[in-house]
Amino acid sequence: MLELIDLRRRFDDVVALDGVSFEVPEGRIVGFVGRNGSGKTTTMRIALGVLHADAGRVLWRGRPVDPVTRRRFGYMPEERGLYPKMRVREQLVYLARLRGTPKGVARSRATQLLEILEVVGDPNDRMETLSLGNQQRVQLAAALVHEPDVLVLDEPFSGLDPVGVDVLAEVLRGQARDRGVPVVFSSHQLELVERLCDEVVLIDRGRIVARGSIRELRAMRARNLWRIEVPAATDGWWEVVPGVSLAARDDGAVVLELDGDADPQRILDLARAEGDVAAFGPVRPSLSELFREVVAE
Amino acid sequence: MSSVPTDRGTWRLVARRDFWVRIRERSFLISTLINIAVISILVLARASSAVGSGPSFDLGSVGSSSIATGASQLGHDAQPPIPIQVHAFPDQAAANAALRDGSVDAVVVDNQLIGFTDDPTPLTLAVLQPAPPHRSENAAVAFVGVLLLYGQLFGYGIWVASGVIEEKASRVVEMLLSAIRPKQLLLGKIIGIGTLGLAQLIVISSFAIGLAFATNAIDVSSSAFGAAGLVIGWFILGFAFYATLFAAAGSLVTRMEELQNVIVPINLTILVSFFISIGALQDPNGRLQVIASILPTSSALSMPVRIVLGAAPAWQIVVSLVALVGSTVLLVPFAARLYSGAVLRTRGRVRIREAWRAAE
Repeated sequence: MLELIDLRRRFDDVVALDGVSFEVPEGRIVGFVGRNGSGKTTTMRIALGVLHADAGRVLWRGRPVDPVTRRRFGYMPEERGLYPKMRVREQLVYLARLRGTPKGVARSRATQLLEILEVVGDPNDRMETLSLGNQQRVQLAAALVHEPDVLVLDEPFSGLDPVGVDVLAEVLRGQARDRGVPVVFSSHQLELVERLCDEVVLIDRGRIVARGSIRELRAMRARNLWRIEVPAATDGWWEVVPGVSLAARDDGAVVLELDGDADPQRILDLARAEGDVAAFGPVRPSLSELFREVVAE
Repeated sequence: MSSVPTDRGTWRLVARRDFWVRIRERSFLISTLINIAVISILVLARASSAVGSGPSFDLGSVGSSSIATGASQLGHDAQPPIPIQVHAFPDQAAANAALRDGSVDAVVVDNQLIGFTDDPTPLTLAVLQPAPPHRSENAAVAFVGVLLLYGQLFGYGIWVASGVIEEKASRVVEMLLSAIRPKQLLLGKIIGIGTLGLAQLIVISSFAIGLAFATNAIDVSSSAFGAAGLVIGWFILGFAFYATLFAAAGSLVTRMEELQNVIVPINLTILVSFFISIGALQDPNGRLQVIASILPTSSALSMPVRIVLGAAPAWQIVVSLVALVGSTVLLVPFAARLYSGAVLRTRGRVRIREAWRAAE
């Protein structure tokens, strides 16, 4: 398990991290979500030791992370970049060797990754001759080439086409499932996070404002909303049930908010008495809605 | 065996990359060729002037000329050869007149050597020996040496600075620093590029010495080998000193265009040291030259010149070495801290104080 414990960091007068704590269990994919400037990159840089924290600790398998254990981490920085004039495979082999992978292993692993990630072109091409999308894939290969124990990826999906997104999502699932790697990545593509992640960590202004599985977040955050469409009903028919109020009107339907005690089945019975029920069901907020709700507070 | 429990020695991987990437670069080949061309011109110029303006004699001869022709033969066989021209005169009066107006250096009358007067005092043969032994030769060797040192220290120092900027500008530095420590990256870069500079220096020195021997520009007993050794030794020490400064300076900026701005103080230091060293060729014991050869900011260029010219006493050499090595040792942690503090700040120029405080 990768544990971040009470990380704090200031840049001059700006508090970037104000006690960030969360953990990434082995084999789990954690999405790290927050607005621009909320502290995601700073947190990830501290986890990788590229930046030091003013206070707080980073633990891997219960031990403080030092430069030697960090060599087993895989990292994709927000600021992309590899040597522009170096050949693609040579570059991957070099980066793997810096992290302690023997040359032969690094070489075959690099070749294999370029295939898995569908990098178009010759492994002996210079980096600068590749298209941006392909450079992005090589950057991912650089994070994976040494078969890391932990993956920390800052915006790995940005700049990828839909096919690239699918390829990468599959690679991350594979790393978590087959090798038990804890994966944490930041993203603004919330549908993707919702689809891919076991857990989500929401950060806002340097603080963790919510964390848990999507289901837990919904249960924790979301209101109990039901959408009902009864074309023949008279307005205000629900008002006889205590604990039920109108949340919104939506294209001929109403969205009702129920208190803890109110029974949705009772609402349904009432609705049927009014006429034919065209639609009835719970309203599940998307991650985006949860996120907006949390951040708005 | 996939993980190594220590990260010591990763600087070697960095050094190897920096060495091999640059040896394949066109600019390396070009700089080697230019160096060899310049050295060839210098050596060949000296080789031709050694024949033309070395000691030569005009010998007047009256009557039997067996001694005069014998001397001429001896001069021809000497190493390096001393050209002796024999001029025959009908009588002693004509020969004396030639002596007085200086068109001959000496006259042999009936196998008797006569000097600059009518008095037939035999001259000693010492006159024929080339004057200050190896003096001009040492100066020539020292000149070539200091020129080479200047070129290598300056050129490879800039390569270190631009190598640091290249990694910052391409943003690859964050990938590197997530894998290894800043000190290892710094050390590897300096050693890798320094080794290339050293290898080039050895190739060029060997070429220069070989060419100089082949063309008789210098003779075998000269101090050329010692001088080459000195140049190489002081390159290593001087490079360690200057390259550390170049690396720290390079880490402060993000774009190649800004390189010149930050390295101006280092450039000036090296340039001034170079001119003082050139001055030392004429006046190796001048006050300025002595001070420059001891201060670590200039000793790498000034001291080897004074040693080759035989002007530096042992204690000065020792003090100079201790000062240079000692200041480099003190400089490294300072530069490494600036480097660690500045190298990840990829937006605009970083102030020294900022960089210092950013790294702890």
